[in-house]
Amino acid sequence: MKRSALLFLFLVLTGLVAGPLFAQTADSDRARAILRKIDDLWRSTSSVARLKMVVKTEHYTRTLVLDSWTKGKEKSLVRIVSPLKEAGTVSLKNGNTMYTYLPKTDRVIRLTSGMMMGSWMGSHFTNDDLVKESRLADDYYPEITYEGVLDGRKIIRLALLPKPDAPVVWGRIVTTVRAGDYLPLVSLYYNEDMVLARTLTFSDIREMGGRKLPVVLRMVPADKPGEYTELTYEAIRFGVPLRDSRFSLLQLRRR
Amino acid sequence: MQLLHLALKNVLRSRHRTWVTIAAMAFAGCIMIFYASLLQGWLRSMERNAVDMETGELQIHAPGFRQDPDLYNVIVDAKGVIKRASAAGFICAGRLLGSGLAAADENSTGVSIMGIDPGADDLVTRLHAHVQAGRWLSRKENNGVVIGSKLATILAVRPGSELVLVSQAADGSMANDLYTVRGVLQSVSREVDRGGLFMTAAAFRAFFVLPAGVHEIVLRRALRSESLTAATGRLRALFPNLEVKNWRQLQPTLARLLDLSNVSLVILLLITYAAVGMLTLNAMLMGVFERIPEFGVMKALGFSGSRLFGLIVLETVIQVAIGAALALVTGVPLALYFSVHPLDFSFLLRGSSTIAGIAFEPRWYCEVTGHSVLLPVLFLFGAALTAILYPAVKAAMIRPVAAIHHR
Repeated sequence: MKRSALLFLFLVLTGLVAGPLFAQTADSDRARAILRKIDDLWRSTSSVARLKMVVKTEHYTRTLVLDSWTKGKEKSLVRIVSPLKEAGTVSLKNGNTMYTYLPKTDRVIRLTSGMMMGSWMGSHFTNDDLVKESRLADDYYPEITYEGVLDGRKIIRLALLPKPDAPVVWGRIVTTVRAGDYLPLVSLYYNEDMVLARTLTFSDIREMGGRKLPVVLRMVPADKPGEYTELTYEAIRFGVPLRDSRFSLLQLRRR
Repeated sequence: MQLLHLALKNVLRSRHRTWVTIAAMAFAGCIMIFYASLLQGWLRSMERNAVDMETGELQIHAPGFRQDPDLYNVIVDAKGVIKRASAAGFICAGRLLGSGLAAADENSTGVSIMGIDPGADDLVTRLHAHVQAGRWLSRKENNGVVIGSKLATILAVRPGSELVLVSQAADGSMANDLYTVRGVLQSVSREVDRGGLFMTAAAFRAFFVLPAGVHEIVLRRALRSESLTAATGRLRALFPNLEVKNWRQLQPTLARLLDLSNVSLVILLLITYAAVGMLTLNAMLMGVFERIPEFGVMKALGFSGSRLFGLIVLETVIQVAIGAALALVTGVPLALYFSVHPLDFSFLLRGSSTIAGIAFEPRWYCEVTGHSVLLPVLFLFGAALTAILYPAVKAAMIRPVAAIHHR
């Protein structure tokens, strides 16, 4: 009798304590899985893509055509195809360093850390976006803050808080994904003072390169709501064999 | 006339004492002239470094540009503004301001890019005269730049080296080009030393794809006779829709520092002068008290108190006049000498140094002005006459009998 009572107590206590604990780990596992899904959405072991970038600001609207290559998580290379004036300009990311090749001057410039928050190719994306790309799962603690129906769509909302020693600039990122396939819908970026800095919207989900993914990414800065940069994937192929040498500094000038 | 005769006789009688007094005054006057000229020169050089070097006496910007230096926020009708300001008695030059990344080999750093019109800018500021190595921009310079001294160190470049500039042009495209360093500036100001990069306005326009307008107009009064405040007011009335500021408003810290230096100059001069006054007083007192029995005799013979007072004052005036003349004869050439050959403290300062962000000149030049010459002389007269007042009154009031027996 006494024994069964103890067993009962044990079961209740472990149930009480461990129940939520298990639930939480399951939840955060799922959250991390969602992040990884976002991280790897546009990459694979390797990827080759053609993109169109439209930059609209108060003073100008420009359209650029870009070619991009990625390999693994560390290497990526973006080359401007048009307009003619900047054609051949290359941004190379290798690990945490970033280089720009300028065909006009035939020079390679290594971007200093002070330049990382600067605009990338005159767009509303920063150089940092390019370098830090695909590392959400490494640098942030995700937490599911909402799960349910919004505007007739089943969604999951995640709040991402940077890990204490993560080399990131955002104070918080709030990402909304589709509940079924975890495809991202919108990400809100908050600065260190927790003020909304910019909004990244994902749209036009379709089949491309054998995957279902949003092909239009639109970045709107919070302080200039009239401006935006819109990236449209025109084609993407995954799992293309690429040599490491393609991402070498030497290769930059040869193109 | 008789009094003057007497006074001269008295002055000449005790030559030792007279010469000691005169020499003391001459020496003090000479030092004061030199010192005042030196401080004047130092203040002027600080002001010149601030104003002539880079800022100009006055600046015009589009409203809001100074708070947020936006490439697009230009003075649209730059030509018209410059024309009207010139007609109003100002020498002016337009400037274009931008920022970017400069890279040379493995080194890169952020820079402030300034597009200037060498012909016009050289008349307003003296940047062109502060090139340490190489040369200043010529008018038709397409790919030459002149950079600040520390920037040259950071990028490890010298005249003849190449550097790449990268920025974003006004049309959103990526601005990048290759430039040759033509010259490296001396220490100008903290900002220019660390990140100042100068090119011609035409090169700036080509780089940033900015066809019209300027960001800044620097001005100088054609006539120094008009006060800075009055000139600022006049210019402001001329361009009510633009931001007009003089260098005192643009560099308030420096303006305050210079004001403070001015005050301390006066205080230092007062201390020096007070010491000189004591010296004169001492000599005069000696001269009067020594001669009290003599004055007693004179009074007994019917010399009135007021005439005695006059005599002593006259004696003093004669001595001060000679002392002041000597001070001028020695002090002015001394100061003039150091206005050409500066006191060089550069061995104390390694490299360049700045005060309130303005280059500190290690070479001190004297500046001989009416102020720095006449003030010491006037003060010499004032101090001597004030000093003599007490002994002269005392002598005039003295009772003959007591005086004759005075020991």
